[in-house]
Amino acid sequence: MDEEEYQKMIKRCVRCSVCKWIPQVQIKSQKYASGCPAIDIYNYHPYSGGGKIILALAYEMGRIKPSEELRDIVYKCTVCGNCAVACKYMSTLEPIEIMMKLREKLVDTGCGPMPQQKTYIEAVKKVNNPYNEPHEKRMDWIPDDIHLDPKAKVLYYVGCTSSYRRKEMAIAAARIMNEAGISFNVLQEDEFCCGSPILRTGDSNTFEEILNKNLDIIESKGIETVVFSCAGCYDTFKVDYPLSRKYDFKVKHTVELFDELIESGQLKLTNNVPITVTYHDPCHLGRNAERYEDWDGDVVPLMPLISINIPPKPKRTGSKGIYDAPRNILKKIPGLKFVEMERIQEYAYCCGAGAGVKSAFPEMAIKTAKIRIEEAEDSGADILVSACPFCSTNLQDGIMDKNSKLKYFDISELILMALGLEPEKLKQATAEVA
Amino acid sequence: MLEKEILKEFQDIVGVENIDDGEVMTNAYAYNWCIEFVNYMEDKEPIPFSPIPKAVILPSSTEEVQKVVQLCNKYRIKFKAQSTGLGPWNQPSTDNSVILDLRRMNKIVKIDVKNLYAVVEPYVSGAQLQAETMKYGLNIHMPGAGPMASTLASHTSMAGPGFTSPQTGYSARNVLGTEWVLPTGEILRLGSFGLKNEPDWYSGDGPGPSLRGIMRGWVGTKSGLGVFTRVATKLFPYPCGTEYVLKGHSPIYDFKIPDFIRAYVVDCKNFKHLEKSFIRIEEEEIALICSHMSSYAVMAIFSYTLESLMDKIAFGSMKSPLVIVIAARTKREFDYKQKVMDYLMKELNLINIIGTKYEPESLFYAECLRTNLGYHGFIATGGFQSAKGQCDSAALCLRAEMKNKPLKQKYIEKGVIANDFGEGAWMTSYESGHFFHMEAPTFFDQTNVESVKGMGEYMEESNQMDLLKHLGVPFFIEGDHLHNHWGPHLMNYHNWLRKIKKIFDPNGVSDSGFYISGNEGDV
Ligand SMILES: Cc1cc2nc3c(=O)[nH]c(=O)nc-3n(C[C@H](O)[C@H](O)[C@H](O)COP(=O)(O)OP(=O)(O)OC[C@H]3O[C@@H](n4cnc5c(N)ncnc54)[C@H](O)[C@@H]3O)c2cc1C
Ligand code: SF4
Ligand code: SF4
Repeated sequence: MDEEEYQKMIKRCVRCSVCKWIPQVQIKSQKYASGCPAIDIYNYHPYSGGGKIILALAYEMGRIKPSEELRDIVYKCTVCGNCAVACKYMSTLEPIEIMMKLREKLVDTGCGPMPQQKTYIEAVKKVNNPYNEPHEKRMDWIPDDIHLDPKAKVLYYVGCTSSYRRKEMAIAAARIMNEAGISFNVLQEDEFCCGSPILRTGDSNTFEEILNKNLDIIESKGIETVVFSCAGCYDTFKVDYPLSRKYDFKVKHTVELFDELIESGQLKLTNNVPITVTYHDPCHLGRNAERYEDWDGDVVPLMPLISINIPPKPKRTGSKGIYDAPRNILKKIPGLKFVEMERIQEYAYCCGAGAGVKSAFPEMAIKTAKIRIEEAEDSGADILVSACPFCSTNLQDGIMDKNSKLKYFDISELILMALGLEPEKLKQATAEVA
Repeated sequence: MLEKEILKEFQDIVGVENIDDGEVMTNAYAYNWCIEFVNYMEDKEPIPFSPIPKAVILPSSTEEVQKVVQLCNKYRIKFKAQSTGLGPWNQPSTDNSVILDLRRMNKIVKIDVKNLYAVVEPYVSGAQLQAETMKYGLNIHMPGAGPMASTLASHTSMAGPGFTSPQTGYSARNVLGTEWVLPTGEILRLGSFGLKNEPDWYSGDGPGPSLRGIMRGWVGTKSGLGVFTRVATKLFPYPCGTEYVLKGHSPIYDFKIPDFIRAYVVDCKNFKHLEKSFIRIEEEEIALICSHMSSYAVMAIFSYTLESLMDKIAFGSMKSPLVIVIAARTKREFDYKQKVMDYLMKELNLINIIGTKYEPESLFYAECLRTNLGYHGFIATGGFQSAKGQCDSAALCLRAEMKNKPLKQKYIEKGVIANDFGEGAWMTSYESGHFFHMEAPTFFDQTNVESVKGMGEYMEESNQMDLLKHLGVPFFIEGDHLHNHWGPHLMNYHNWLRKIKKIFDPNGVSDSGFYISGNEGDV
């Protein structure tokens, strides 16, 4: 969003509070009507999507100054995008883009990001991951029996969280690709942070450097397809990178790839997995994974005060997220009973971890996770499944904190079970979860 | 900001985290949409900010509200209650004020299926309550504002119609037992909830004290007479089967249309025939929705973007449209309603455009059932507000609409409001009776100062016209200035209103910017 559009848009919030809820027509109970973790936890209006638009306007009008008070409100938000889906049901406002621009402005003044976020940004600059882990240990997750192909045109981009914290996901993804006979490689020492956790804090300059470095490397290797098991990396490559620099390779999340492989018969799910499962749509794989479409039309004044876009300007409404692939997979696992939560797909409730919240406001992250866990429990499932290492970490923290009976698995782990791989290999893959 | 000691006293009531007097917080609560032209009408700068409150308080119970109100009396600080906070009526009239954001009071206290009422706290939205009552085959009244508005506020504090008003009535008339924290901090329980023995919520008047008229005033006291903390509102049979299945993705969800629901859009061609048709259809008491709108508005309720609005040309040439929706729970009931409609269409010589010239998205029916049609009013310019607001006979409502047309046209020609050919109006009956509501939604651009000023001037002229042409009292007659202007023409009602205010609020702490002050000039 350019500055001119921003200045116009911040004057247009009608303070209807629709952005605090899931889309109105989707509300099916009082308990699960809400869509915004920030307002659910902090209650005051400015925490909502619309509230942050008001802050942006008040800031531009000089009514409020950069301050800790402002910074706290602006950063206590997972940038999950639920507010944008609800608002854009009818409106053309862009709450998320406005709040990201506001974050950028706070970074420019030195007020943002949060101190903990500054720390992890420094870590990325130093050791290429926000966890401040040694770069040389990045590929330690790879078991000996995984087959990598240096000539492969498919690249598995593992991401920092799977590499260092959710190794079971990386192992599962690699094993499944091996099982299906997909020839793939990893970047080894050339894999760095995708920049997502930095971008979401509003530090767009650092992000720009990272994306250029990553694209230079991938493009130099003649890669045709990059596969991600991390929803955050996937979204960042798919949606955010092209806004700065276009590239030619294809991007795929593992759920898309595995769904295709199951459909084509390359993966055969034969083992019975008699469990009841519900699926959490990661924000970065769902509503936020919708690309911006180029629009080169004209704004045509129709009559005073009314202009229309010719041709119509595509609106990102969350409708093009990856929703079917994970559900297709789950429905094809023999013996598995799949049940839905109330808030799903483009109006799924966030896990609570994103956009630097887990590091800067761990209490918000855990409270949000617990709200989502309760919803999963209410669905009647005994297993909660998702497809993002960051959701995995936070939801598992939530399960522990809540003392919930629910178990968490990544979807790739369920595929492994259904593939009937040797228990030894399975154990290795699910070590951290078990 | 509050003085330290006073802040501490408030904190002792609600907890440290539930009061905030920071610069950022209080500025954010000073914003509301439409306050820019209200400011202009009050000779202030046309910006979307009101006076900045001293603090924002989030009470969680009636007891906390009571203590906060008592403290406001002690320090002579005004308070302004907000439920969901939609619209300029939520804004404080002075910086010597605190906002009570009632968001934490969000319980559905009771759904009494047998006696057909629900008891709610302020921050239960219409959509939430309806979702729960649907589970019992029951429905609620929601304002045209939409399902995100508070059921309590739209019944106790800002009354009006909804699209389903032919069946679900007038919100102020749906109020039963009520819990009310008066401006002095006393708690008053109205209707059967005020009984000493076995208090319950089933009735708004006797047994027990009845003050519903005082609580309503004209169309609600808008926080000018204390805080309503719990209210019982009537429930109605859900109009059709409650199976509710939406597939696909936002915004155009695919709705499984219930078996027994049907829409009609007809052109009555002129006001005379519109009046006749309206009354005839209402007399038969079969409509869930029976609304007159401009042809532009009809296009809008079927559209989800400005661009797609342009495909609805079939409606664009209508002179006096009526949108009717019938719904039933059984085939027998549906057959009967359809037969009556067939008969009326012949009798009134009307042709249904739906099914002939146009087939709406299935989502339209979901939006009818969930009262989500009003929101379509925002797709033209991003902002709209209604002039007028008549509650009267169909004849008077239509006369007001007719008179308003050239006035609106004048402002359209100035280029300050959007062109709906001056026809923009929304009219519905209440309770399928001969009591109607009419308002004139008008599209303006809140980002454009000239448009904001134009909207303010148009509102002022429209109010004045209502007075001079005897078109009834518009619903935005609020605040001292307007009451003082209208009162002398209407049996000095403003003096009585002022007396009520003074007795109920001797210290003038319940912010009366959108009601009336006890002592003229207090606001
Ligand atoms: C675009 C638009 C369309 C609308 N259309 C309609 C319509 O078709 N029909 C209709 O009836 N109304 C309509 N309204 C008005 C609307 O009904 C009210 O704004 C809304 O229903 C009230 O619910 P709320 O949660 O938004 O209340 P709020 O906006 O929070 O409050 C409304 C008023 O009541 C006061 N208030 C709120 N809670 C309390 C309380 N607990 N105690 C005392 N005072 C309180 C507030 O100070 C404010 O003055 C419309 C408003 C808008 C902005
Ligand atoms: S951001 Fe959108 S949904 Fe939220 S209050 Fe503003 S206009 Fe309404
Ligand atoms: S992005 Fe998510 S957490 Fe942030 S305001 Fe929007 S809905 Fe709330």
